Amino acid sequence: MSTNHNKIRPVYRPVYINLMQIRLPVSALISITHRLSGIYNFFITLPLALFLLYFSTKSYNDFILIQDTLSNPNIISTFVTFSFLVYAYHILTGIRHLLQDIHIGESLSASRMSAYSVLIVWFSLFFLLMTRLYL
Amino acid sequence: MKGSSLFYWLRFSALFMLGYTIWVLSFILINQPVEYNSWVSFTNQILFQFSTTFAAFFVLVHTFIGLWTVGTDYFTPRTLGFLHPSLAKYADLIRRGYTFLFVTLGALIVITTLFIIWS
Repeated sequence: MSTNHNKIRPVYRPVYINLMQIRLPVSALISITHRLSGIYNFFITLPLALFLLYFSTKSYNDFILIQDTLSNPNIISTFVTFSFLVYAYHILTGIRHLLQDIHIGESLSASRMSAYSVLIVWFSLFFLLMTRLYL
Repeated sequence: MKGSSLFYWLRFSALFMLGYTIWVLSFILINQPVEYNSWVSFTNQILFQFSTTFAAFFVLVHTFIGLWTVGTDYFTPRTLGFLHPSLAKYADLIRRGYTFLFVTLGALIVITTLFIIWS
């Protein structure tokens, strides 16, 4: 019965996969950026948050230094704001995936709409925080 | 480990960290501008110390599952071979090195967190 593994495979079968040739629909874009933001969170946002927690509770002067640095527009506050925005992005896209796990918004149209909603909410948050920092 | 266990650990740790994040963030947002004294008493309370310890543990679990999945998806002979065919035969070695790197970093982060919280 099982003759499948006796079949000769076509020679043009791709050996190496060019990920750049795959056209991404918006839900796939959300999925891959969820992964990328997760990597960023672990390697950058998390150590940064620990650094901030350590120095903000170390002494009054360190706390004031951190508060002053982060509330004024400069390269450090921009970097910290961006890093926490990446964390927010991971949370927003993560909630979308969790809702799909419990079968909410699984259809093609609903998943497209939630993908665009996540992007709209995140960019609004991005502009809100950046204008608060710079204006 | 069973695939379904990994599935539930990933989701459960995500929910815990989500709750933890909302809790800490709401303290910061309600107490604007945050004063040094209220911030220190917030971080010195036993509830913060225990929940941060749990959060550190769940970060390790969540990160391990997430980065392990990324590694087995992308650090394979088929995807690395696209970058350069000679890389394909080193894929397993590269993936093991990458796994070692993030497990070590994860352990370091948990130890650092426990040190900051409990010292």
